[in-house]
Amino acid sequence: MIPVLNKELKLSDLRQGNSLSSVVKHITQEEINRYAEASGDFNPIHIDESFAAQTPLGGTIAHGMLILAYVSEMMTVAFGKNWLSGGKFSVRFKAPARPTDTITITGKIDSIEHKEGVSHINCGVESHNQKGEAIVAGKATVKLGA
Amino acid sequence: MEQKKTSGKSPIKIEQLDVGYEFPPSSYELEPLVIAKYLEAVGRPSEQNSPAPEFVPPMAIAAYTMNAVAESFALPPGSIHASQELEFLKLVPVGTTIDCHGRVAQKVNRGQLHLLVIELEALNQDRERVLSGQATLVVPN
Repeated sequence: MIPVLNKELKLSDLRQGNSLSSVVKHITQEEINRYAEASGDFNPIHIDESFAAQTPLGGTIAHGMLILAYVSEMMTVAFGKNWLSGGKFSVRFKAPARPTDTITITGKIDSIEHKEGVSHINCGVESHNQKGEAIVAGKATVKLGA
Repeated sequence: MEQKKTSGKSPIKIEQLDVGYEFPPSSYELEPLVIAKYLEAVGRPSEQNSPAPEFVPPMAIAAYTMNAVAESFALPPGSIHASQELEFLKLVPVGTTIDCHGRVAQKVNRGQLHLLVIELEALNQDRERVLSGQATLVVPN
């Protein structure tokens, strides 16, 4: 496991297979509404229960960008400023996160590559709900020594 | 958040978006109160646990940039995110003004749905790229 909030992260601390400290969040409609207010994304699929009930999704869902904020939180805790400047990720939304869901974000170092004096830490990232269903899956990369 | 739009025209409809279309550029300022509201909304750790509280969380920039680009077209209700790519290129201090640009990279019609791929770019006031990315949206007809 990578030490939490490593402000002066050293490459020697990192190994392939290391797990990142997971992030667990309980989703509520109030939090979704708060995120809509903060982000300005008022798509009714997120905030209007009667509208959302009539769609194939059958109810409101959390903003994808809110779930990605949790992924980014995990990466920030693990890699500090290296993530804020030098982070990169590519993810797919597998299923919606719904009010009352508990979402767990996990990550693991898949590989460490060295290119032209820069180390690229490649991580697999995932999030699951309390039933074990995948919500988000993808890859994230952090550059160290850039 | 104060957002400045460069176009006062009616929102563009999805049917009018072609590959290569560039959304009207817009800008916004990452004011301290805006960032505080964002951090509260995402339930982030307290400031003393942040590695760099003087800098804006990159997903806040991504969210505001997406929103600024989406403001210029009429995204139908019920549209959802299918995938997202993002790269964070520079630290962004709180208070920075961001210029956002968006372009339609791909559009695929699948019966009752469109798949819309939008390329995003955010620049600071020194015209340096701070974020780039690509969002894939599923948009109902």
